[in-house]
Amino acid sequence: MKKISLTINEKDYTLYVEEDLRLIDLLRDQLHLTGTKEGCGEGECGACTVIMDGRSVNSCLVLAVYADGRNITTIEGISQGEGLHLIQQAFLEKGAVQCGFCTPGMILSSKALLDENSNPSREEIREGISGNLCRCTGYNKIVDAIELAAKNMRGVSK
Amino acid sequence: MIKDFIMPSTLEEGLNILSSNGKDSIVLAGGTDLIIDLKKGKYSKEIIMGIEHLKELKFIHIEDEILIGAGSKFTDIVENKEIKKHVYGLWKACKSIGSPQIRNMATIGGNICNASPSADSVPPLLALDAELIIVGKDKRRTIPLNGFYSDKGIDLKEDELLYAVKFHKPKENEGISFEKLGLRKALAISRISCSVYIALKENRWIKEIKIATGALGKYPQREIKIEDLLKNKEVNESILDCAVKEMCCLVEERLKGRSSMNFKKEAVKGLFIKAFQDALKEATKHEKNQPDNK
Repeated sequence: MKKISLTINEKDYTLYVEEDLRLIDLLRDQLHLTGTKEGCGEGECGACTVIMDGRSVNSCLVLAVYADGRNITTIEGISQGEGLHLIQQAFLEKGAVQCGFCTPGMILSSKALLDENSNPSREEIREGISGNLCRCTGYNKIVDAIELAAKNMRGVSK
Repeated sequence: MIKDFIMPSTLEEGLNILSSNGKDSIVLAGGTDLIIDLKKGKYSKEIIMGIEHLKELKFIHIEDEILIGAGSKFTDIVENKEIKKHVYGLWKACKSIGSPQIRNMATIGGNICNASPSADSVPPLLALDAELIIVGKDKRRTIPLNGFYSDKGIDLKEDELLYAVKFHKPKENEGISFEKLGLRKALAISRISCSVYIALKENRWIKEIKIATGALGKYPQREIKIEDLLKNKEVNESILDCAVKEMCCLVEERLKGRSSMNFKKEAVKGLFIKAFQDALKEATKHEKNQPDNK
């Protein structure tokens, strides 16, 4: 067992984990943060995307011991307690959610993108979510939603 | 059966560990290749040594020589404006790897050492005649990347770590390209890839050319036969045609018996032409060495 200390959704944790425990299993099974989904377990679908130290990562490919000392944001953490994040609102408004399984990962990839680039082109948006597969929507509404979210987020930050 | 996971605080500590436990250890960098294999029980070693956090391996130094630390994430390489400006083919290759999530964890050292036949960062590095700096406890050696891979595996001993990759920064009249064919635009393993480095004399005369391919054999490799057809020649359709035909024959011979051969021997033609033309374009760009306007 290894001792790790990390921050998840602005809460500090000190935990003992098995050496080969993946971050996704730590989040879902030990901490019951089940918003993060496992779609493939191979880093190919992005359903397990979380943000680690400001960058999106596939939590199915990150060992929990690698998360020691890091700052993690999961889907549960983006709205910061009150209501929905502007990205979540935009997804609902634009019909970018069908079965919802890709949505947490998709939203976190969007957040990572918009935190870096507050005014992305549609091409840049597509590149930003290129690591997230959606089997339902055909992506167009997701791109529309991220465009809307970007606009609203720029409006708020003025 | 994994018995221990060690995360050394310094490179020196890591090399000490490998010096005594190398044969029982797997070195884990970003994990984007190895975690999958670990979970499938592919490895029987007892120790994982995690080096993801070692700052000594994360650097990009750009002077007349470019030195990239083996622990550099692909995202850091892609975000480096100087790499994009001077070594476009390598930049493009790194940008094409996986997805943003993969690039945020995967390292260039891991890509080189994992030795996949379709490792995307390797063909441009081969075309750049890159060298690898390999370190162990109290030892260091520099070897050409061309020769690192063989049928026996990689030239990295159990007590060694890849420290960095280095190559000369392309000058004016030199350019490097990269093209790959995959099943999709992102999260695509290369079905074929090709990188061309050209040094021109007087705009249309090929002073020097280096061609490297990926996914056309057990490991990425230089295509010397094709290089010899084009070196010291004026760029024209006829020699390019010759080179393309030779490339096609080469693929047919090398992949004989494989189900992918018929596709690859045709597809390589267009891929090579595109890579060649892009390298020419890079070599004739005159604004490459202008100071940035910002």
